[in-house]
Amino acid sequence: MRCPRHLGFAVRIVTAGAAVIGRSVCAVEPALQPVPANAPAPAFAKDVQPLLVKYCSECHHGEKAKGGLAFDTFKDESTAVSRRQDWEKIARQLDSEMMPPVGKPEPSDDERALVLRWIESRVLKIDCSKVDPGRVTIRRLNKTEYNNTIRDLLGIDVKPADDFPSDDVGYGFDHIGDVLSMPPVLFERYLAAAERIADAALLTPDPDRAPVKSGKGKTLGSVGEAEMEMEFPKTGDYVLRVKCYADQAGSELAKMMLKLDDTEIETLDVAAVEGQPELYTVKLNVPIGKHKFAARFLNDYYKPDDPDPKNRDRNLHVQRLEIQGPLGVLPDALPTSHTRLITCRPADGTDPADCARAILRPFVTRAFRRPATADEVERLARLVVAATKAGDSFERGIQVAVEAVLVSPHFLFRIEVDPEPLNPQAVHAINDYELATRLSYFLWSSLPDDELMRLAQEGALRKEGNLAAQVRRMLKDSKSAALVENFAMQWLQLRNLKLINPDLKQFPNYNDALRSAMETETRMFFEAIVREDRGLFDLLDANFTFLNERLAKHYGISGVQGDQFQRVTLSTPERGGLLGHASVLTVTSNPTRTSPVKRGKWILENLLNAPPPPPPPNIPELKDGEGKLEGTLRQRMEQHRENPACAVCHTQMDALGFGLENYDPVGVWRVKDGKTDIDASGTLPGGASFKAPVELKAILKARDGDFRRCIAEKLLVYSLGRGLEYYDKCTVDTIVRNTAANHDKFSALVLEIVQSDAFQKRRGKRGDEP
Amino acid sequence: MSFVGNITRRTALRGLGTAIALPLLDSMPRPLATATAADSIAVAGPLRMAFVYVPNGVHMQDWTPKTEGENFELPSTLEPLAPFKNDLCVLSGLTQRKAFANGDGGGDHARALASFLTGRQARKTAGADIRIGVSVDQVAATEIGRYTRFPSLELGCDAGQQSGNCDSGYSCAYSSNISWKSESTPMAKEVNPRVVFERLFTNGRPGESSEARAKRQRYNQSILDFVRDDAQALRGKLGVTDQRKFDEYLNAVRELEVRIARADAAAESESVAGFTRPAGIPGDYAAHIRLMEDLMVLAFQGDVTRVSTMVIANEGSNRSYPFIEVPEGHHDLSHHGNDEKKHEKIKKINRFHITQYSHLLERLKGIKEGEGTLLDNCMIVYGSGIGDGNRHNHDDLPIVLAGRGAGTIKPGRHITYPNNTPLNNLFLSMLDRMHVKCESLGDSSARLAKLDG
Repeated sequence: MRCPRHLGFAVRIVTAGAAVIGRSVCAVEPALQPVPANAPAPAFAKDVQPLLVKYCSECHHGEKAKGGLAFDTFKDESTAVSRRQDWEKIARQLDSEMMPPVGKPEPSDDERALVLRWIESRVLKIDCSKVDPGRVTIRRLNKTEYNNTIRDLLGIDVKPADDFPSDDVGYGFDHIGDVLSMPPVLFERYLAAAERIADAALLTPDPDRAPVKSGKGKTLGSVGEAEMEMEFPKTGDYVLRVKCYADQAGSELAKMMLKLDDTEIETLDVAAVEGQPELYTVKLNVPIGKHKFAARFLNDYYKPDDPDPKNRDRNLHVQRLEIQGPLGVLPDALPTSHTRLITCRPADGTDPADCARAILRPFVTRAFRRPATADEVERLARLVVAATKAGDSFERGIQVAVEAVLVSPHFLFRIEVDPEPLNPQAVHAINDYELATRLSYFLWSSLPDDELMRLAQEGALRKEGNLAAQVRRMLKDSKSAALVENFAMQWLQLRNLKLINPDLKQFPNYNDALRSAMETETRMFFEAIVREDRGLFDLLDANFTFLNERLAKHYGISGVQGDQFQRVTLSTPERGGLLGHASVLTVTSNPTRTSPVKRGKWILENLLNAPPPPPPPNIPELKDGEGKLEGTLRQRMEQHRENPACAVCHTQMDALGFGLENYDPVGVWRVKDGKTDIDASGTLPGGASFKAPVELKAILKARDGDFRRCIAEKLLVYSLGRGLEYYDKCTVDTIVRNTAANHDKFSALVLEIVQSDAFQKRRGKRGDEP
Repeated sequence: MSFVGNITRRTALRGLGTAIALPLLDSMPRPLATATAADSIAVAGPLRMAFVYVPNGVHMQDWTPKTEGENFELPSTLEPLAPFKNDLCVLSGLTQRKAFANGDGGGDHARALASFLTGRQARKTAGADIRIGVSVDQVAATEIGRYTRFPSLELGCDAGQQSGNCDSGYSCAYSSNISWKSESTPMAKEVNPRVVFERLFTNGRPGESSEARAKRQRYNQSILDFVRDDAQALRGKLGVTDQRKFDEYLNAVRELEVRIARADAAAESESVAGFTRPAGIPGDYAAHIRLMEDLMVLAFQGDVTRVSTMVIANEGSNRSYPFIEVPEGHHDLSHHGNDEKKHEKIKKINRFHITQYSHLLERLKGIKEGEGTLLDNCMIVYGSGIGDGNRHNHDDLPIVLAGRGAGTIKPGRHITYPNNTPLNNLFLSMLDRMHVKCESLGDSSARLAKLDG
């Protein structure tokens, strides 16, 4: 039996989606004797190479080496050390005993440990006196960031990105630079969105761009009208349209009278037929005020006994009514998005370029999150001039320039340019604009506001106390709701709650309203931690939560009325902290029953920073009959754990999960499952035992170092938009230490991250990086 | 820079090495005929290819026909395909070897989808260095995409997972994307039928005159000129990884330029052959799948594209199917532990999926094209990258190939290949039929025999 043995080993940073550094996974017991501190470090040629030859070279040798890994190319210690990425993979394979494969000679435990020790000491060694900030791949705005950025840049909340294809997830988050790609369909969407946005933010006097209102159509089977009423904003020219077709019968075409209020505008013959509707248009000067536009069917015809069935009934199908206008003028009431941007207008006959520049320079600076260059402004101004030369209005020209800005790579990507992109030694501080941008996308998922831009412009962002003051200001701002929505909801995997469909036969009360209430509870709870700058451990255990009547009933808590959520002080501990939230309990359940495995795994991954490795390979298949698991869920799981390969992780995973058995698959408290009494007791590896969820919670709280490190790493990944690497260990150590020293305040954690080298600096690419 | 872009753009397009005839933009008729090999097919209707994917494998005992060749009996899972039995082949023994761990450990679901059309081993990463390979549909799209307004169409019914880890250390990009344009660029799929419809069949804004539209297109071209200049200037200053992202960007700009150049000035079509504009994602899953299929059919029928993929559910999906009395999650069930009750439920899900596929075939067969039907000019692959969900095996996969491939495939048979025959051999043979030159694809070892009888 090959039991994976998980050493306290740094390599898990590359295996697990969640970044884990320097700690053990499923540490049931230390499998190996600890190495004395004064043991000599193994050497490559003397200690490691012979083992590679003995156990690996049969497959990993020469040109046809398996997996492209040939150990004969590892000629000496220095060439070997330079293959860091290979070693990370090798360590993973050795550590989990996936290699050498079954059936081949196996190294002893000591031999395995020796090679791992060499990898750790020589290849992955880290010198914390020289912190490596790493490098972040340019990040395309993801859907949320795009929506927020447009909202804050133009002052319109149109959420254009809702129709974009979804962003792929890496390291648990959907804004990782390396993972976000730009398929053609997305770029196409960007251009279309830019048009829509420019159109919504700015009005233009061009006749063909005048606002359009449409009204519903109607099938007119006998004489009658389809109509729409509209407030005409000013006296002027309007185009009125009817899209329609007719079932033709009898000797004449369908006749349609277009009317404004009760006055005939025109009567038309409708020749269009089904499948090919046409647009019938009139242009008319209409006085200001409310008017009714109508299309009236005049000549009904009905001969049910006509021998030709197609010649029996004449009907008019009005599909849509439309009013466009006023034409050629700007409406008097201009939206703020328009007046904020269009700060000047060229006098008739003068060169519009000056005014265009004056408008575009500040706009581009905000959109690109750094000062616009003269060349950029000039080229955009030329687009405006070209539009006016083509006969369009100045405003239309500005729209075109705005569209160009919104599809520019400087807008769509967050770009940080390295002076020496290929020199890993060239560590440099990112500039103040880049820092302001990192900060605002971290805490607001949007662009820097005027204050951040001003500090950046003055070069004052890093000056005494400014960064801390900005972090506190930003966390208090309502825009930090983005941190809850994007960080917390992804970290806790609650974005997946929508995909969970509890069996409605068992849980008839579950519906969208309840699901949404569950999400809201956790969202408001996390938000309270952020806004009130509470301690991180309140997340595990708190005496308050947020409920509306629906959710309170679900929990069996009385005294909460109405749909509005309110802060509720809890008198008993069952619902205090994330593990008592129905959202978490539901997202970790199967549709028809709880899944202690999923709940245990969720705790390990998201709270204790110890994601279990995937199941070992070659689990013997269950044969018919023999493999049937029977009894209660707990008994079946116990049978499952009789297999030591499973037990190594499931002992811990299942125990944690069973500790939450008092919560049913949708988070309702229970003491019985069917006829069986709930047994929520368990013993964790290491001996800690508990009898109920509350006791389990206390055990988790006592593992404070694990939890603190877990949230620190998750938040660091989120803030950087990249996965953590082995060299980030020093950064994380510092963050964790200082956060603890500052009473684990949420703002302390954020500030530590913001002040870390990983957040403040970057370097060129190392040769072995992708 | 009043729209001088036109000239440089035409030059640029020629420089792409394509044979697109690009006369003045607005007078271009559809479809874009060109004098190449594809013309000979264009007479009867061009050949189309599509790939429909289902996750978590199937219950193979009720999938694989008992006998080979013609006159085989459809096992219960395939019964909904009875009306099309003579239009399809069931292919047994095909294998996606690159979906096996091959030393990479857990993650069979992510690998199953990622390697399904690529035949390449996914690099195990949660994000830092996503690498797989170009998928067969994109190989075809790159070559023949220039004959149609859209080189390819990627459809699905599940958006990508939005948080968490998708499968044992693999980025979710692997478990939710079937189509890969380059080794690191997945082609995001569309899940909203309204958005697909608007993209494919509407060309402008309501009430817009053709002059206004033409003017807008010219503005768009100036905008693309502007941003391309920006991107090119910036690209040189970036590191290698960043440059790769920029290449995706520049490529997307180029594709859109070609598309704008080809868009004809025809008025907005609110309905295509009586098809009603979809309002959004139907609440009913079957209706959603069918609507996406209808859109694929519509796109094939109008020669808007000739290549499509459709992921019915993401790999590893734990969707429940209460409307067919299966309230449990699909993935949970697929680890059936040989429990008979679970087998029955898996069979129900398999049959539900096949029923939706049968709807696609019905629609294709209902459209006349030349002497035959649209289905005759198609090759529609249906399958999963996992055989048995309990075992996570990737050999002897469940695969159906429907359509006559414009007379190059003899349907109505169950063809058995030696187990471990690369699935990519089938794809290579399909590319031949599409007149796409390709000597090897992923782990292909040869052309797939016996398709023509």
